[in-house]
Amino acid sequence: MQKKGLMLGGLAALFIAGGALAAGPADLNAGMRSLMDRYLSEAQKKEPSLKAFSAEEGKKFFNAKRMHSTAKEERSCSTCHTSNPLNPGKTPVGKTIEPMAHSANKDRFTDPQKVEKWFKRNCAWVLERECTPEEKGDFITYMMSN
Amino acid sequence: MKIRSVLVPILAVGALALFYGGPGYAADTSGHGSVYTREALSGGKKALLAERESEEGERGEGGGGGGGENERFSAVESPLYKKECSSCHFLYQAGFLPAHSWTMLLNTSDKHFGEDLALDDKTKTDLLAYLTANSAEKSDTEWSVKIMRSIGSSTPGRITKIPYIESKHRKIRRDVFKRPSIKSFSNCGACHTKGAGGNFEERTVVIPK
Repeated sequence: MQKKGLMLGGLAALFIAGGALAAGPADLNAGMRSLMDRYLSEAQKKEPSLKAFSAEEGKKFFNAKRMHSTAKEERSCSTCHTSNPLNPGKTPVGKTIEPMAHSANKDRFTDPQKVEKWFKRNCAWVLERECTPEEKGDFITYMMSN
Repeated sequence: MKIRSVLVPILAVGALALFYGGPGYAADTSGHGSVYTREALSGGKKALLAERESEEGERGEGGGGGGGENERFSAVESPLYKKECSSCHFLYQAGFLPAHSWTMLLNTSDKHFGEDLALDDKTKTDLLAYLTANSAEKSDTEWSVKIMRSIGSSTPGRITKIPYIESKHRKIRRDVFKRPSIKSFSNCGACHTKGAGGNFEERTVVIPK
């Protein structure tokens, strides 16, 4: 109990220190917080100096274009989601995608399983690999911050 | 002179019959002949005229029957199928493909048209159970009956490559499907305004600009 309180407090301090968030990841529910905790501790194993996730990095990641090796086309998260997460997007075959930003779509980033599934699907589509815990944490922080 | 005045109308009627009874429609007496509708043309959508090969003498409204008991598909009733598959694309009714196609698609879900769907085994099993229970060969919908007839012994993976489906859309220029409002031939719901509910009748088609 005490440990959990400490951890949450620590996390909140980190987020504030990171300056990521007005209404930021404080909005995340318990399940999502523990997913973010996991991402952070995994990311810190690789990079011990990492203090918190960054909305700014998340934004860069979201818009970063990459040439897909077999599709021979440039892809990014924003290919389908548009460069503004407040706007709806479109899948490659034309289906509307609800906005990604939590503020525009309250269902976003409320279900850890769903979040993990879509990282798996879409990181493969854009990057041809899994996303790192740091990329995932930055991404979610960005989506919670706008 | 006299012969000519008789011949001209006969030839004209013959030409018309050939045109409307053309290859793709030979076996189609359902009244769903072409994919365009009068509704699609109204409301200032005159540009559509240019895309149509012809519409004069179009069939009467209504139509129906012609191969199956039910005229339309039902809306998809599986929350799981909806959840797993409709985020990316139109939620194709199970009656669009035979069971062996659904099985093949689920077995290759890690390479689903270039994507890994990241489905766990239980999800795959449950999806397959729903899709095969409602697949084309088990459906008495006339479209399923015609799809089954047109695929022969093949195992289609793409609904858009089913000969019957292709034939139904053959009058639409390929670049129409590329419009930002449509994006692809597989985006049924862009034009089939009642498609999600299982109604693909021609009269419900509105082609967006």
